[in-house]
Amino acid sequence: MTQQVEDRHEVTDTPLGIEIRGVTKRFPGVVANHDVDITIRPATVHALIGENGAGKSTLMKILYGVQKADEGTIAINGQQVVFGSPIDAIKAGIGMVFQHFMLADNLTVLENVVLGAEKLFGIGDKARAEIVRLSDDYGFDLDPDALVEDLGVGARQRVEILKVLFRGAKFIILDEPTAVLVPQEVDALFENLRELRASGHTLLFISHKLDEVRAIADDITVMRRGTTVGEADPKTVTKKQLAELMVGSELPSPQTEESTVTDQVLLSLSDVTLVDARGRQLLSDIDLDIRKGEVLGIAGVEGNGQAELVETIMGMRKATGTIRLADQDLVSWDTRERREAGIGFIPEDRHHHGLLLDAPLWENRILGHQTLPPSSKNGLIDRAGAKADTDRIVAEYDVRTPSINTHARALSGGNQQKLIVGREMSGDPVLLIAAHPTRGVDVGAQAAIWDHIKRARREGLAVLLISADLDELIGLSDRIEVILRGRLVGEFDPQTATPQDLGAAMTGGKDSAGEGGAA
Amino acid sequence: MNNMAAAAWSRKIGQALLAPLIALLVAMVVTSLVIMLAGASVGDFLSVLLRAPSNRNWVNIANQSVLLFLSALAASIGFRMNLFNIGVEGQYTLASYVAALVAGLAIFPGKLNILVAIVIAMVVGGIWAGIAGVLKVTRGVSEVISTIMLNAIAITMVGYLLNTYGQQYGQGRRTKPLSADSMFVGWVPFDARDGAIWTLGLLAVLAGVGISFLINRTRFGFDLRATGMNEAAAVASGVKVKQMVVISMVLSGAIAGLIWLPALFNGAAYYGPPFQRGLGFAGIAVALLGRNRPIGIAFGAVLFAWLNEQANPLGLLVGISPSVVQITQGVVVLAVVVAYEVVRRWATAREQKALRATLDKAAAASTDNDAKAVAS
Amino acid sequence: MRRTSKIAAVGLVVALALTGCGRSDTGTSKPGSGTSAAADNTICKDAKGDTKVGLAFDVGGVGDQSFNDSAYAGLKKAVSELGVACTTGEATDGEAESAREDRLRTMADAGMNPIVAVGFAYSEAVDKVSGDYPDVNFAVIDGFDPTGDAANDNVAYLGFAENEGSFLVGAAAGLKTKTNKVGFVGGVHMDLIKKFEAGFTQGVKAVNPKAKVLVGYIQESDLKGFGDPDGGKQVANGQLDRGADVIYHAAGGSGAGVFAAVTEAGKGQWAIGVDSDQYLTAPDDQKAHILTSMLKRVDVATFDMIKSVVDGAPLKSYSTFDLKADGVGYSTSGGFVDDIKAQLDQWAEKIKAGTIKVKTKP
Repeated sequence: MTQQVEDRHEVTDTPLGIEIRGVTKRFPGVVANHDVDITIRPATVHALIGENGAGKSTLMKILYGVQKADEGTIAINGQQVVFGSPIDAIKAGIGMVFQHFMLADNLTVLENVVLGAEKLFGIGDKARAEIVRLSDDYGFDLDPDALVEDLGVGARQRVEILKVLFRGAKFIILDEPTAVLVPQEVDALFENLRELRASGHTLLFISHKLDEVRAIADDITVMRRGTTVGEADPKTVTKKQLAELMVGSELPSPQTEESTVTDQVLLSLSDVTLVDARGRQLLSDIDLDIRKGEVLGIAGVEGNGQAELVETIMGMRKATGTIRLADQDLVSWDTRERREAGIGFIPEDRHHHGLLLDAPLWENRILGHQTLPPSSKNGLIDRAGAKADTDRIVAEYDVRTPSINTHARALSGGNQQKLIVGREMSGDPVLLIAAHPTRGVDVGAQAAIWDHIKRARREGLAVLLISADLDELIGLSDRIEVILRGRLVGEFDPQTATPQDLGAAMTGGKDSAGEGGAA
Repeated sequence: MNNMAAAAWSRKIGQALLAPLIALLVAMVVTSLVIMLAGASVGDFLSVLLRAPSNRNWVNIANQSVLLFLSALAASIGFRMNLFNIGVEGQYTLASYVAALVAGLAIFPGKLNILVAIVIAMVVGGIWAGIAGVLKVTRGVSEVISTIMLNAIAITMVGYLLNTYGQQYGQGRRTKPLSADSMFVGWVPFDARDGAIWTLGLLAVLAGVGISFLINRTRFGFDLRATGMNEAAAVASGVKVKQMVVISMVLSGAIAGLIWLPALFNGAAYYGPPFQRGLGFAGIAVALLGRNRPIGIAFGAVLFAWLNEQANPLGLLVGISPSVVQITQGVVVLAVVVAYEVVRRWATAREQKALRATLDKAAAASTDNDAKAVAS
Repeated sequence: MRRTSKIAAVGLVVALALTGCGRSDTGTSKPGSGTSAAADNTICKDAKGDTKVGLAFDVGGVGDQSFNDSAYAGLKKAVSELGVACTTGEATDGEAESAREDRLRTMADAGMNPIVAVGFAYSEAVDKVSGDYPDVNFAVIDGFDPTGDAANDNVAYLGFAENEGSFLVGAAAGLKTKTNKVGFVGGVHMDLIKKFEAGFTQGVKAVNPKAKVLVGYIQESDLKGFGDPDGGKQVANGQLDRGADVIYHAAGGSGAGVFAAVTEAGKGQWAIGVDSDQYLTAPDDQKAHILTSMLKRVDVATFDMIKSVVDGAPLKSYSTFDLKADGVGYSTSGGFVDDIKAQLDQWAEKIKAGTIKVKTKP
């Protein structure tokens, strides 16, 4: 079924496919894209890779008609096009699958697909027939009458793709489609994509996961600092070479050094059970120990109790069972007391839980440390102390900011995260809880954050690491526990475990179908 | 760094002055249009509004500014943490009544009586607002609803008590008047007939400085602001939000309790017909105008007091209803919110540009550094 | 925070807008009275004369179909009959005590004499200001001397025997009711309005001892009870539900709601107006339900005050405008009380003669 187009170098001269030439887009004070040149051959999977902030999303928006290029041309099948809005783009056969699904949970697959495109096939049997046909043709396995809220993440993504196909797209842009998937689901997605390619669709696959890109793409274009910096042949290029193109430097690795695990148990949970207001068990009988100098990784599909586990340890939720930090019982302590006892917390969603976006950096330095020096003294905020310490964090953690008076909102995700890591590592913590610490940050920041976690471990902290990035978990952890529906269902040794092993455990061992090229 | 400081300054000044000025301009234009539509002369309107205040006008503007400032300050405390204390009206009505009642009994001699009354007013206002806070954290009742209800209850209750136990006083009722030694004479800047600046205007200064310090410099204030900016992050940082809700409602109500006291101890001497209604709602507008910052509120209070005072003789002098400035006041609040948003976006864009510049400057040199950082 | 201010601002503007509506509602059936920026208080524009009259209105100003309009009618009469010049000033809702004082001082400084303040709320302000202008004559409608000292011999307090007028319309209600239940709707539960209630109840009982008076007030102390038609309608509906078939209101602008409730209740239900002859200003569909109105001749008092100054013998201290002085009475427009007019006039004579004392407190 994999239908490789032969001899890729010859095809560059044909007018078919999409040709992007010299596209430049300026925002006030910033050049987001300049001199972008990409040739996308028809019926191929073309990967566009680059760090966060490299200009991929701006380019995508230009291609999908959300924004207009200031300079340059876009040609589809030899025809120059200018899109005033996504409607024009859809008419020209371009479809977009967003990273964040745009589905109504309480509607069926049919209703979600038809919504907004009622004119094409009506809303009745003709539309249903078309959906069934598309689903069968590309192996989507979707029931038009299933409620979206009952579908898994993979199936929801297929609904998104189906929506685009239903509207007649020939060119499909996929924005980081694998970010939300476990490895088995990634394999299944790639099967679907190959089917689409075989039937003549052209796919623009945006990602920064280099293994996946090498597995699926026919061509690769690399972007850096707003422009295209190179192309690569996925059959011959190495991961290292791609990474170097992407960041202009060597790819960081999450591998830790030799073990620093001690025999002193620092955090100990036993029989921790959390029941929500409606009586559902969010966490069931959690038992876990973390020793000083140990990184415990928690693997799991999102929504299986990771966030609740973290919030329980932080005292933001009240669970039953015992939680001990060193030899103190934490159960009756509130969040502030737990923080004062030396728990550092890198939250999963930094905008939601970690930052005051409209406050300057030095005030964000105080957040979570309101009662601790150097930001506080005798019930008063120590501005000078907080500012001085923010300067220290900015320097030590390489937070790129014009000033500590800059509002947190202005910073890039990576720099925001570095500030949070710096903050949570200050004041000599004994336990660090890191939930998805490198989510949505660029490669440079990722490497720096990994380094800091490794350093914390060396310095004898106990670290609870939660991540959806299995490579990160395997690379950093001394031990990995898998969480499924609020229970710990298996322990793995990262030295021997593969992402596939973890993936199988994360989905309860059922969803291990589909062998693919990932990794 | 100097450059940044300058940028930060210009941003601050921009947000503090530019937006209100634009808003005021828009409000004046809208009001002028309304006046034109009603067939009156805009020139007349402006000439009255912008005429030089007489001595007694100055005194009145100063005194009214004090009341509006206190009211807005009370509202702003809740606003800073996303709590809508719409109940300032009821809180200060009840507090004023109780304070006047107790002070009228003259349990304590002379000026001590005033001090006691101030404390009582703060306690009553605080408790009344605290009810809404407790209802919110225990029963999940929206403070908007509960404070509106509590307004009605407070105003009706005060009316009932006054009608039942108050002193007969012409066609109305009042509380027992204060003895002269429990009153202030105030400061008479001009002739006696032009009136006196109320002594307890000092309360506004004290409360303004105190609240400003509390919010900006203390741990409590930080928790309060953090809760207002991002409640989830505040919870994660260890703020006990429920406790904060109750405390800030009580604090807001306590300040509300002070609102009418300057008038009570300088001119009125009792709670009765001269009690000034509506300050609680005007305060909400002034708080919005001043972006909930004491300095901004002070300017807003003076502006509203000026508009009220200068508009008063509109009917007399040029035959335009003085109510027309309520349009100006309404529009200025609406416009200022829009203007702040515009200015804020402009400031954010500037900030991001500055950030880009820093990064770009660093970028050329840092490619090597990156490599080093990554390699390490 | 930004969201907070946006919501709050919108809420506030809505509140202001509603207040605005509420205000214009008090002057219903007179389109444009809400924007009294150019209301027809134009009499002073062309009025010329040696005597210059200042008329300080209560909240609502010209167009309230009640108190203020009545005072304005008195002024108009003075302009045409006595040839005086004038200015008027209007109060705003929730204004400061100092604003009332300032209004009076501005008038005094501009050479107005006399200055007539409409409404008891001016009592304190007049007391403070009058001392500074010993040569100016002040009058306060419904007013009183708050200090009780004898210093203000340039102030006249013009009061009314509302209890006497209310007695007569009470008698009318007692005679007309078929259910033997009549209603009283007061705007605000204060002593002034209780005076209306007392006279009305006494009048009802005098002619019909079996009749029951249902008493309701819109507000306990908040003066907005005089400008709240919805509140008036609610109270009136409650009384209609309990079987009342004649309802008297002493609720200023809120009376419009009482009229509406009675009109909706249909044939055989009556409402009684207050202050001025409300039959004349009511919408056509309500006219058939307005039995009579208790007249409180603020226009007479205003005119008399001006005339006394023109004549060189200004009114001073307390004057009560009672039945005898033609200060109160009842209206006959519509002809609904023609059949009982003789009886009512007999009662009036008894009051004038002093054989019946009408209570001032319920």
